[in-house]
Amino acid sequence: MRFVIVILSSLLVLPAVCAAQESDLAAEVKELRAKLERLEKKMADEEAQKMKRAEAEKAAITEQVKKDVMTDVAAKAQSYFGKLIEQTKVGAYGSMRYGTSNLDDLHNTFTFRRFVMTVDSPIYERLKAYMELEFERFTSLELDKKLTRTAGGGLTSEVAIEGTAKSEISMEQAWMQYDIADWLKFRGGAVLVPLGRFNINHDDNRWDLPRRSLVDKGTPVLPTTAAWPELGAGFLGDIAIGNTGKLTYQAYVMNGVALNSEIEQIGQTRAGDTTKLAYEVKLQPSRGTFSDDVKRGKAIGTRWAYSPGLGDEIGASVYWGRYTPDFLPNKPVFSFAIDGKKTWGPFEIEGQYVNTQWSGVRGVARGLAQRAISSSSEAEIGDVETEVEFELANLASRKQGYWVDFRYHFWPDFLSNTIFGKHFPNPQLIATFRAEQVWFSELLNSVAFTGGALTDFRTENRLLNRFTLGLTYRPVPLVALQLAYEYTRTNRGKSLSSVTNFLPARDGEYFQNAVLMGLTFGF
Amino acid sequence: MASAQEGIFLKEEEAPKAVFPDATSFLRKVIPSNDDLKDKIKQRMGKTLTSLWEDSYVTFVAKKGETILGYAAIIEEIGKHRPITFIVGVGLDRKIRDAALMVYREAYGGEVRDRRFLQQYKGKDLKDPLLPYRDIQNISSATMSVEAIGRGSKKALALLEVVYFEGTERK
Repeated sequence: MRFVIVILSSLLVLPAVCAAQESDLAAEVKELRAKLERLEKKMADEEAQKMKRAEAEKAAITEQVKKDVMTDVAAKAQSYFGKLIEQTKVGAYGSMRYGTSNLDDLHNTFTFRRFVMTVDSPIYERLKAYMELEFERFTSLELDKKLTRTAGGGLTSEVAIEGTAKSEISMEQAWMQYDIADWLKFRGGAVLVPLGRFNINHDDNRWDLPRRSLVDKGTPVLPTTAAWPELGAGFLGDIAIGNTGKLTYQAYVMNGVALNSEIEQIGQTRAGDTTKLAYEVKLQPSRGTFSDDVKRGKAIGTRWAYSPGLGDEIGASVYWGRYTPDFLPNKPVFSFAIDGKKTWGPFEIEGQYVNTQWSGVRGVARGLAQRAISSSSEAEIGDVETEVEFELANLASRKQGYWVDFRYHFWPDFLSNTIFGKHFPNPQLIATFRAEQVWFSELLNSVAFTGGALTDFRTENRLLNRFTLGLTYRPVPLVALQLAYEYTRTNRGKSLSSVTNFLPARDGEYFQNAVLMGLTFGF
Repeated sequence: MASAQEGIFLKEEEAPKAVFPDATSFLRKVIPSNDDLKDKIKQRMGKTLTSLWEDSYVTFVAKKGETILGYAAIIEEIGKHRPITFIVGVGLDRKIRDAALMVYREAYGGEVRDRRFLQQYKGKDLKDPLLPYRDIQNISSATMSVEAIGRGSKKALALLEVVYFEGTERK
C-alpha cells in the first residue's frame, strides 16, 4: 500500500518536478544561448577589430611604402638635379681697353670690348652642353612702344629705342655634344666655324695683344667677323699618331654666311638746305640666321690639324657655301686657311693665312639692281627731303691676308719680390711682335643702279698693313694687363675707313699710330 | 646616375699599373689626413700653394716580387672649375716615375690627359717648379689644368715623402 502511495505521490509530484526541471533547463538553455550569443558577438567584435586592425596596418604599410617610394624618387631626383646643378659651371671672360690715336675722329677712349658669359653642363655620361653669350660694348638697351588715340580722331603708334652706340648682344656658342669616341664626337647647335685657328680660340684672355687681328676681325678676310658661329651640326675628334703626334678635325654643315641687310636711319639738318631723312640699306655678308635660312644651299666648313708634338701644330681649313639670298643669283663664297704654331721653350711663333673668294660680285650687283630697281630714290616735300639708298658693302672678288705673332715669355727674378710677383705662383711677362697684311682684289668701291640696270660698278685693289709691339703682364694665366703700340697703314692718300671696320678715318687718312692699354680676365 | 660628363680614363684598380707597369703586386693603403700631415705636406711643397681638402689619400706600394719599386698616390686638384683626379708614381729615387690621368671633368683642356704631356713629369722631384714656361711645356687654352697637374704632382711627391720615405709607413 505504501508502495502504491509512493507511486501515486510520485506520479502526482513528477509533473511538478518535471515542470520545474523543464523550467530550469529552459533557463539554462536560455542562459547558454545568451552566453553563446555573447561569445559570438565577442568573436564577431574581435574579428571586426582584427579586420579593422589588419586594414589599418595594411593602409599604414601602403602609406609607408608610398612614402618610401616617394622619398626614394625624390632623393634620386634631388641627387640627379643636385649633381647636375653642382656640375654645371658658369664662367666668363671680359676685356676692356684704353686707346689713343692720331686719327682726328678717333678720341682717346676707354672701350669695353666685351663680356662673355659661359656655361658648361654635363647632361649625362658622354653628353654635354656649352654656351657663350656675349655683351659687346653693351651698356643698355630699352624699347618703348605705345598705341594711343590721337586727339580729334585716329590712332598713334610710337616706338622708341634707347641704347648706346655699337651695343651688341650675341649668342657666340650654344651646342650639345655627344662623345661617341675620342675620334668621333657629334656636336650640334650654334658652333664656331673651324676656319683658321683664331675663330675657334677667340677668348680675349687667351691672347696677349689688346686688339684682335685684321684678318679675323678688323677687316675681315674671314667671310664675317670673329667670333663667328653658325647654326649647324657635324663631327669632331682627335686621333693619336705615334707616341707624340695627334690629328684633330672638325667638320660641320651649317646655314652659313649670307648677305644680310642693315638699315641705317639718318636725320640731318643742313645749313641753307632742307632737312634730310635718309634710309641706307646696306647689304653685306653677315653670319647666317638662327631662324629660317634665306637661301637653299647650306655651307660646309672643316679644319684638320696635325700636331707632331706638344706646342706644335699645323692646320688647314676650308669653308664653302652660297652667300646670296634666294632672290639674288646663286653665288658661293670659298675660303681656305693655313695656320700653325711652333714652340721652342719660352719662344713661340703662331700665325694664320686666310684667302676668301666671293664669286660673281658683279652678277650679284646686277641681280640686286633688277630686284631693287633703283639704288637711290629721293623726294622733297616742303622742307623735308627723303632719301632711300641701297648699297652692297664689304665685298671683294678676293681678300687674302695673314697675321703672325712672335712671343717670348719671361720673368726677371728681381720682380719676384715686388707687387708684380710676390703674391702669385708663376707670373709671366710676354713680349709680342705681330705683323699683319691684307690684300684686297677688286674691293667694291661703289655701286649704283637705276631702272633695274647697273649704272656704276667700281672696284679697287688695296693693301693694308699693321705692325704691333706689345708687352703683357700675366699675374695668373686668366688675367692679363697689356700695353701695345700699333702702326696701321693703307695705300697712300686712301682712307683707312674703307678697308677696316673700326677706324673712322677721314679721306686721305691712310695711316694710324695708336697706343693701347688693355685689361682682360677670365674665370 | 652616371658621373655626368666626367671623362673616366682609369679606374682605381687600374691606376697603379699605369704608373708602375713592371710591378707584379700593389699594396693599397689609405692614409688618413690630419693637421700634422697637412703641415708636413705644405712644408715640403715650399712656395707651391695647394688645396689639401682630402680626408684621406689612397696610396699604393708597388712591388715586383718582394722588391719595392716605388709608391703611388691618387691626387685631386682643381683645374679651372672642377677637380682633376690623377695618379702619380714615385720611384725609390724620390723622382716621378710616371703620372696618369684618371678622371677629367673640365669642358676644355682635356689634352693634359695625353701621354705626350704627362711624360714631361718623369724624373721631376720636389725641387722642380713643375710650372708652364719654366720646366713644363704649356698647352694653350689649358694653362689652368697644366698648373693643376703641376701642383697635384708636387702634392703627391710631398705626401709620399712624408708617409713612405720619412714617416710611419717607411719600409
